[in-house]
Amino acid sequence: MDFGFSISPSSTINLDKVDFTLYDRLCEIEPDAKKCMACGSCSATCTAGPWTGMSVRKVILGIQRGKESEAAKMLKGCMLCGKCTMVCPRGINTRHLILSLCRIYGEGEK
Amino acid sequence: MIDRFASGFAPFVIPFLIGMAFVMGYCIVGAIRLIFQLDHGDRKRFLLSLITPKTAWKNIKDIFLNCLIHVKLWKRNKLLGFMHSSIAFGWFMLILLGHIECILYMPHRVKLFYYPIFFNYFVAENETTLRGAIFFFLMDFFLLLVLTGITLAIIKRVRSRLFGMRRTTKPTLLDRVGLYSLWLIFPLRLLAESFTAHISGGSFLTIPMNMMFKAFLGEQMNMLPTWWAYSICLCVFMCVLPFTRYMHIPAEMLLIPFRNAGLTIKHARKGFAKAQVYSCPGCGVCIDACPMTVKKANIKDTTVYLNRNIRRGNEKRIEEISDKCLLCGKCTAVCQVGVDGPQMRIAQRSVRNYGLAPDYTGMDISTIKDAVAAEPSKDRVLYFSGCMTALTPAISRAMESVFHKAGVDYAFMDKDGGLCCGRPILMAGRFDQARQLIKKNREIIYASGASTLVLSCPICYKIFREQYKLEGIRVVHHTEYMLELVKAGRLTLDGAAGSLVYHDPCELGRGSGVYEPPRELLRQAGELVEATHNREMSICCGGSLGSLTLGFDKREDMTVNALKNLTEGDPATIVTACPLCKSTFAMYADRPVEDIAETVNRHSK
Amino acid sequence: MKDNIVIVGGGIAGMEAAHQLLLLGYKPILVEKSDHLGGHVADWHKLFPDMSPAKDAVKDLAEKIKEANIFLDTEVSFINRLKNGYNVMFSNGVNVICKAILLATGFDLFEASKKEEYGYGIYDQVMTNSDLEHWFNTGEDKRIKGKDIKKIGFVHCVGSRDIKAGNPQCSKVCCITAIKQAMEVKEFFPDAEVYCFYMDLRLFGKKYEDFYIKAQMESGVHFIRGRVSEVSENINGQVIVKTEDTLSGKPAKITLDLLVLMSGIVCNKQAVDTASLVQVKTDSDGFLKSKDNILNIIETDSKGVFLAGTVTGPKTVPETVAEARAAALAIHNYLVTLK
Repeated sequence: MDFGFSISPSSTINLDKVDFTLYDRLCEIEPDAKKCMACGSCSATCTAGPWTGMSVRKVILGIQRGKESEAAKMLKGCMLCGKCTMVCPRGINTRHLILSLCRIYGEGEK
Repeated sequence: MIDRFASGFAPFVIPFLIGMAFVMGYCIVGAIRLIFQLDHGDRKRFLLSLITPKTAWKNIKDIFLNCLIHVKLWKRNKLLGFMHSSIAFGWFMLILLGHIECILYMPHRVKLFYYPIFFNYFVAENETTLRGAIFFFLMDFFLLLVLTGITLAIIKRVRSRLFGMRRTTKPTLLDRVGLYSLWLIFPLRLLAESFTAHISGGSFLTIPMNMMFKAFLGEQMNMLPTWWAYSICLCVFMCVLPFTRYMHIPAEMLLIPFRNAGLTIKHARKGFAKAQVYSCPGCGVCIDACPMTVKKANIKDTTVYLNRNIRRGNEKRIEEISDKCLLCGKCTAVCQVGVDGPQMRIAQRSVRNYGLAPDYTGMDISTIKDAVAAEPSKDRVLYFSGCMTALTPAISRAMESVFHKAGVDYAFMDKDGGLCCGRPILMAGRFDQARQLIKKNREIIYASGASTLVLSCPICYKIFREQYKLEGIRVVHHTEYMLELVKAGRLTLDGAAGSLVYHDPCELGRGSGVYEPPRELLRQAGELVEATHNREMSICCGGSLGSLTLGFDKREDMTVNALKNLTEGDPATIVTACPLCKSTFAMYADRPVEDIAETVNRHSK
Repeated sequence: MKDNIVIVGGGIAGMEAAHQLLLLGYKPILVEKSDHLGGHVADWHKLFPDMSPAKDAVKDLAEKIKEANIFLDTEVSFINRLKNGYNVMFSNGVNVICKAILLATGFDLFEASKKEEYGYGIYDQVMTNSDLEHWFNTGEDKRIKGKDIKKIGFVHCVGSRDIKAGNPQCSKVCCITAIKQAMEVKEFFPDAEVYCFYMDLRLFGKKYEDFYIKAQMESGVHFIRGRVSEVSENINGQVIVKTEDTLSGKPAKITLDLLVLMSGIVCNKQAVDTASLVQVKTDSDGFLKSKDNILNIIETDSKGVFLAGTVTGPKTVPETVAEARAAALAIHNYLVTLK
């Protein structure tokens, strides 16, 4: 029966149900991704940030919370300039992380 | 000279003929395939170059100088050069003289392919003529020359340091077969000709050996086995050649015309790239040159191993090696055949499959355009500092101060943040994305009305100069521009900067050929001290964006090694012309590191 | 008679240890490379959490150790190991044979100019936490004196938790110092807006959380979670700070009249050299290595050599004083067992 409205899904992140496949795959290629402390240095310095909304921190967070399509949308803005890698205080090779994500994204569906 | 055998044939020549047919067939088919693998425009250009007198002559000259005399090797190490020239040139002369002998003495046998090679078996010389004596002397002389080279080659396998090579490649099994058969060819030839010398005639080498053998063996002396051995050895060498590093001998003869025709790599595994792969002689000179090999673990990631893995089709290793490389270009600078390491790697990177493709077409750049917009003027200068300079603001600040001192009408393109120039993404092999960035930046540059574009970063400089195709706009690096200002009297240097050493950034030096302008500036600013390895031989700082996979901790040894080279003359300050080099060195240097813009700014008015 | 004890370093750790040793009946020899006692604390203004003046604390301690043998402007040139002690040579030519050595050489402040992107030494209006304390004490600093300061920013973690700066460790005390300084500076410029740019707020100590609340409620300090990436300058000489406001997930920028960098604590380079003379090595975090890091921090693997204070890692003043007292007692017990 059509009631004329739909119930919007809860915006709570259900950590019980997060799909970690992409994150696990990423950690195999770039294990330093686990070191991220979400300080925001990368996003603050990002060349593309002001123009495309790209933020490495948000990409990693998105993948850790199973919100892969949002992460993918942001990754499309990365210019690979390498500034994020230069500033990361934990020494993560963020450029390799981004390139690897671009490579493996959608692997499971193929 | 008389012909000993009416048929002019002996069964032992068959192995030789088999080998020869195989290797010539392989090379001809290979060359045709490579030419057809070129794209249409390149193929036309190549074929045209073959008949253009200028390039045709250059081809002949280069083949003679590089394949036979190995001029480049002599420059690197005289013993190494002598070793290669003696073998290559000596063997070439033996073949050439053999053919001349045949034409002069046995003209009716010229059409027999094997005859000049086994000349001494088929002829008998029953009187010494001056003409004959000269030829015998020359043949023995060149044989001795080749044997000297072979001896050196054997010594090199055991004591490579004598030849200036610290490390060299590990030969594969087939490489060893090829190597040992090559080593044996000439001793066997000497043996065979010595056994025959009392019939065919000889000279200072073969006659005494002949007498010695006669003394030892007397009536048992049978020359046939020695000629069989010689022929079989030749056959073995020629049959394995296409599968070993010795393929470089014929391949280089195709690579040189390709290069002289101005071809570039269009496909990662075919055409020009394939010609380079086959031309690699596997010498391993690139191993010592590569900055990554300060750590032994990285030796297997040098260009020589990339070529080997492409020949074997080992995709995993090809990917690892091409992604790791710093793209510094030092391997290309020392390569004896000119294999272009960075371009080969970028080509391999460009054929990967990606699940996500960045797209910048929707970006709104109007704020940048509005900030720099002005009427076109030939005095207006546009300054682009680049992404990395945002992390080394002392450079852009120094440049702005220099502009003010010299009274330049300039606009600072990325003062409030700009787009990346596109070279990092180009080096990662993503050409379409680079094209999008180029398109956006071109709009901004043309909107600024400037006629000169000044870059303080050599990474940006390289792509602006090579890929952007900015018609009507002069693209200069800030070192070149500041030198112009000094020469025009708009800026004067006071010479009080103390002792400075200049580091040639990879992208500016080897990448763009700019070596002198920074040095001229520094000589006027202070006392310039040179590092041991500089100009084309400068050592990469290790911070390069060219590497996609090298982590932060893996680069420290390279930077420390580069610093050691720079500080040998104990300068007070290290000066570079690249913001990335500056940040990388500043992390580990024990003395101040600054960009040339800062040095010039501080000591000028 | 009583054995000689050499205390290397005249900061509060060395001074407190000397004080306790005097009370125990010894006459320790204190050697200090600068021309005054008190080390870094002598340059500071007020100490958290009681906000008592640093100068008084140092003067107090100096009074208490009047009887000790104090050598100022002196360094340790060489140390020779003897059968049951050490022969220490000072740079003023004095030679001492002692039974125990206390290394209380303190720390170095991270050189903020190494983080070039923050513009220390490049832009006019950028200073460090130590420069600010100096201004609190003397009122002399051309970055503040006579300037119209309406917006002030504090950048946490400069040279700390940063592998690119060569120091991956947390310097412990900068967060509370930043909040303390933020409140103090607000007292001088009541109309100013104060911002703290942090990655995490590490307020672990006694009454530190109260400080945080006071800073928010009374001083109106704005706390922005995000690490500053770049600083640039505008035409008026003000600094423009670029950061990411991670809590709202967007890049942010702000124009400030003054930027204070919280430089971290790194190991004193000279201390490492002196320590190597007695075979005391550095630990993996760059500070001197103790016997173990739980029950024996003040002892080393070298017999008769003890450590106290920031020489083993970042510490607050009360912790340093406590360690100094512990070291004094440990030295006394050690000397007793030697007999």
